[in-house]
Amino acid sequence: MRTLVEKLRRKVFWTFGQPLTRRPEQVGDPVSDLFVWRNSEDWKTFFELIDIAGLFDGDESVSGRSATILFFDNNGEQFLEQRFDLLSNERQTIDLTEFVTESESSSGTFCIFHTTPQVVSDLGSFIAERGYVSYKYKEAPLRSYVHGNFDAISLSRNKELRLLCSSSFFPREYRLQHELSGSALYEVVIVNPSSRDQIVTCQVLCICNGASMGVQEVRLRPRASHVFFVQVETVQPVRVVINSHLIMARPLVFRIHQQKMVAFYG
Amino acid sequence: MSFYPILKAPGCQGWATLCNFSPNNWEARNSTEKFVSLTWAEEGEWRTKSLGMLACDALRTVSFEEISSMIPEGVLPLLSLSATKLPTHSNSLPQIEAPLTSVPGWRATLGLSTAKASVSYQGEIDPFPSQGTMLTFCPFIQFGEEIENYLIFLNMEKSPVARTAQVEIYDSKKTVLRGQFAVKNNDATIIALDGLGFSTTDLPLIICREMSAIPLYFSKTRDVSFLSLEHSHPPACYVIHGPRWNAQKLLKKIWFSRVTQ
Repeated sequence: MRTLVEKLRRKVFWTFGQPLTRRPEQVGDPVSDLFVWRNSEDWKTFFELIDIAGLFDGDESVSGRSATILFFDNNGEQFLEQRFDLLSNERQTIDLTEFVTESESSSGTFCIFHTTPQVVSDLGSFIAERGYVSYKYKEAPLRSYVHGNFDAISLSRNKELRLLCSSSFFPREYRLQHELSGSALYEVVIVNPSSRDQIVTCQVLCICNGASMGVQEVRLRPRASHVFFVQVETVQPVRVVINSHLIMARPLVFRIHQQKMVAFYG
Repeated sequence: MSFYPILKAPGCQGWATLCNFSPNNWEARNSTEKFVSLTWAEEGEWRTKSLGMLACDALRTVSFEEISSMIPEGVLPLLSLSATKLPTHSNSLPQIEAPLTSVPGWRATLGLSTAKASVSYQGEIDPFPSQGTMLTFCPFIQFGEEIENYLIFLNMEKSPVARTAQVEIYDSKKTVLRGQFAVKNNDATIIALDGLGFSTTDLPLIICREMSAIPLYFSKTRDVSFLSLEHSHPPACYVIHGPRWNAQKLLKKIWFSRVTQ
């Protein structure tokens, strides 16, 4: 009985009319995650561009296809559209530095749209770019990779962008299941993949007693991103809770310790 | 709920941090302490030892060093959090009774560390079907004189009975076989990728016709000062909505056939 009540409560309050992501408007509309780019003296961002549509080809013909990358600044304003010719069954590591320097921001978001193979349209499905971004911090010999994981944005045939993430009726917590340990600087990046402005808070909790160590708040426009800085000392590990009306406010986390950086999705 | 493997990689020590709190405030209520268990496959059965209890809202890091004396050499240590105690011996992977979430899944931090660096991702593993296959594309190889790259083929099945399969690694453009390696079920098999002759524009295709796995890619500098770790997607991730698994079947059919010709 209790389980039934619990299921009903979840259905009525938390899931009805609030899908994690919506379908694009029309079959054939390509979809992309909203990836995070960073650019400064210390940061460089790369993307592993693959001809996704070409993977569905039955032969090894030369691609002839292209993909389009749209760049947004940290307020979600588009500042560049760049087309890339794709190489069939090859990897192109795109250094985004030369493109994002056109923005005054030091971070923002980008999305990548591919052509949809007919076989995918025939299934009533959509092609989605959820590929691999890597970040280089200072002069590190290795880049740190993360993969996309969200169907954030689609492009319609008349070139209209549509954000696919729903907004929740009630505020939701995303509790990072990760111990932030020091001494290290954590940079917690949140993106707004919904079509509404979102007020997002980042609360830092002491692991030893659950006490709040501080709250940061930001208002994010659609497609915008924000970096929360969390300094953690050796003696006091903490955890982070993101509060917003986003269905799933999964942050991208950078941990910087002794001039070394690792990135992961929270 | 899932299991949380303690990873292994050359020159590194694996660890996992378990969390006894829900990843959100709406999918699962969680107010009880849980059993922390260590499970591994040995001599055709699953064996489990209790590592104690984890209080509600608490976290616990378990390193390979902490549990290495409790398990035979070479097995994959699997951690779990459960509301009930797991059987010490079983013929099938123990069922974990615990709250479930999906947005996101209930994860742990899975990490690798050296004295000079550490890397981790938020992950978990659920049992793969024993008839499963794997196909994935790997754009993760990093280049440089001091850099080494590895594939960690991470598998867990319900059956504890040991078996092996072959992983084939191809250059996806030329469909040339660059290497073939034996992998084990219920293990994290490590495969060195540097001797296979891939260049910066090659897109390695990794397939296994007899076993599914999470393909993790681990890169390190020779002096283990820098580490990098991530996994690639299964092909179903390129397609969303509708019968997307049909798209995965199609991709597997295309590529298995292409590299067999």
